[in-house]
Amino acid sequence: MIIPILKVTNLSKSYDNIVGCKNISMSLYPGEVLGIVGESGSGKTTLINCLSGNLEPDRGKIIFNINNKETDFLNISESEKRKFIRTDLAFVHQNPRDGLRLNVSAGGNIGEKLMSVGYRHYGNIRSLATKWMNKVEIDKSRIDDLPITFSGGMLQRLQIAKNLITSPNVIFMDEPTGGLDVSVQARVLDLIRSLVNELNLTVIIVSHDLAVIRLLADKMIVMKNGTVIESGLSDQVLEDPQQEYTQLLVSSVLNV
Amino acid sequence: MRKTNNVIKIKDFKVDKGLPFDQEYNFAYLDENTKKMIRRAIIKALCIPGYQVPFASREMPMPYGWGTGGVQVTASCLTKRDTLKIIDQGADDTTNAVSIRNFFKKTSNIKTTEITEKATLIQTRHRIPETPLKKKQIFVYQVPIPEPLAFLEPKVSETIKMHSLSEYGAMHVKLYEDISKNGHIETAYAYPVKTNDRYIMDPSPIPKFDNPKMNNSPAIQLFGAGREQRIYAIPPYTKVKSLDFEDYPFDPFKAEHACDICGSKNTYLDEIIVDDAGNKSFICSDTDFCNKRKNK
Repeated sequence: MIIPILKVTNLSKSYDNIVGCKNISMSLYPGEVLGIVGESGSGKTTLINCLSGNLEPDRGKIIFNINNKETDFLNISESEKRKFIRTDLAFVHQNPRDGLRLNVSAGGNIGEKLMSVGYRHYGNIRSLATKWMNKVEIDKSRIDDLPITFSGGMLQRLQIAKNLITSPNVIFMDEPTGGLDVSVQARVLDLIRSLVNELNLTVIIVSHDLAVIRLLADKMIVMKNGTVIESGLSDQVLEDPQQEYTQLLVSSVLNV
Repeated sequence: MRKTNNVIKIKDFKVDKGLPFDQEYNFAYLDENTKKMIRRAIIKALCIPGYQVPFASREMPMPYGWGTGGVQVTASCLTKRDTLKIIDQGADDTTNAVSIRNFFKKTSNIKTTEITEKATLIQTRHRIPETPLKKKQIFVYQVPIPEPLAFLEPKVSETIKMHSLSEYGAMHVKLYEDISKNGHIETAYAYPVKTNDRYIMDPSPIPKFDNPKMNNSPAIQLFGAGREQRIYAIPPYTKVKSLDFEDYPFDPFKAEHACDICGSKNTYLDEIIVDDAGNKSFICSDTDFCNKRKNK
């Protein structure tokens, strides 16, 4: 039997009286890509912020099981939690400026995670950074340039390289193509898809763009008002939506 | 100019001897309760080498950035038997050193000296003397920014967490940037160190040439930051290691010259422009050491 890499039970988080997300239960298996869709304010971001340790949920359980080692994410000490986040998780922000140090060169940004897990050899850090610049299709001559000189799509690819370099076990992506124009979106999506296949990544991806979900996700959940209203294989949910809201969502996609 | 009755006459000052002892002040300016509070912070700092202990920094009769932290630490450590030496950039005769020395002469009437070996307490700005420090000496640094992580992480709540959890990876990003820009570690002063294999510490803006002198020193080293309200310390015989990369080891750089006054080849030098044609002279920044060598 395959053990889920992430198991969530009855997770709830509210802001004062406003519900962020309510009684969410789900599980994620190694190598799986899970898409979370829903309208603005439906609790998608609250949910992945809770799962990635950016927010403390009010109730519920989050269990990670990585290499047969179980981690009760909400009941470990802060130092263990931060170490776990640093080594086993990664978070790709919608706005790459949130996930990068803009006054530090591209190479320094990619290398930071390596240095934080103990790399102390400049040459090795540099060559790994170069390798990852190649992987995300950024010209390696740009390694010493500051991110502010990069285009939006390049910034997002840089952020992805920065996050993947230490081979994290679970990767969270919050609207990774949100602020990009369509052709750049396609390129970033293509990159994410090939990295997912090549490295067998386990990803949770939040998006309101159903095309992104269809392209990347194996499974998906649909959220509304903080609860999960529908879940299943993404092809199944998108081809045969059961809930009224999901039907609305699917039918409102423009076909050009 | 406004006319007042109590104009101080300039000729009353004797700059070389300093101001006369003023009995109106408590010994060494600070009141005894404040000194007790600062001594407690110092003891705590000595127990946790490199850890920044907060303290209730007082207003001092000098602007922030002129050594208010160092002065408070010195005032709290002074006894009537102490011999005090004050240096600024290695020199005993620059403005900051002269005025702080006069301040303590006026408020505590203790002996002062320019000779490193004779001093029991030395307050410094930006240098460690060339003459090795010895047992039973207290060495006080003036610190402008005590937080070595401040340039990477502006939130204090976050840097405190980074220290407590030893999350120091970001510190190397700064050194990485130096090498990628300049081919070597360009940071020349305030070069970060790891104290007792635990806390990363800002050694105050001393040149990195002085960093090795902190390691395993027999003297007590105290750091005071007045504006930032922090005290930290290195107890005697403590390991202090400058951060580096395996393939770019720490290099205590100095100018490739000998001192033009005393001829010393292994001391830290000041570069001085001597005329309008751009001619330069290199001289020891440690005036006491240079004078002694010259007079030999």
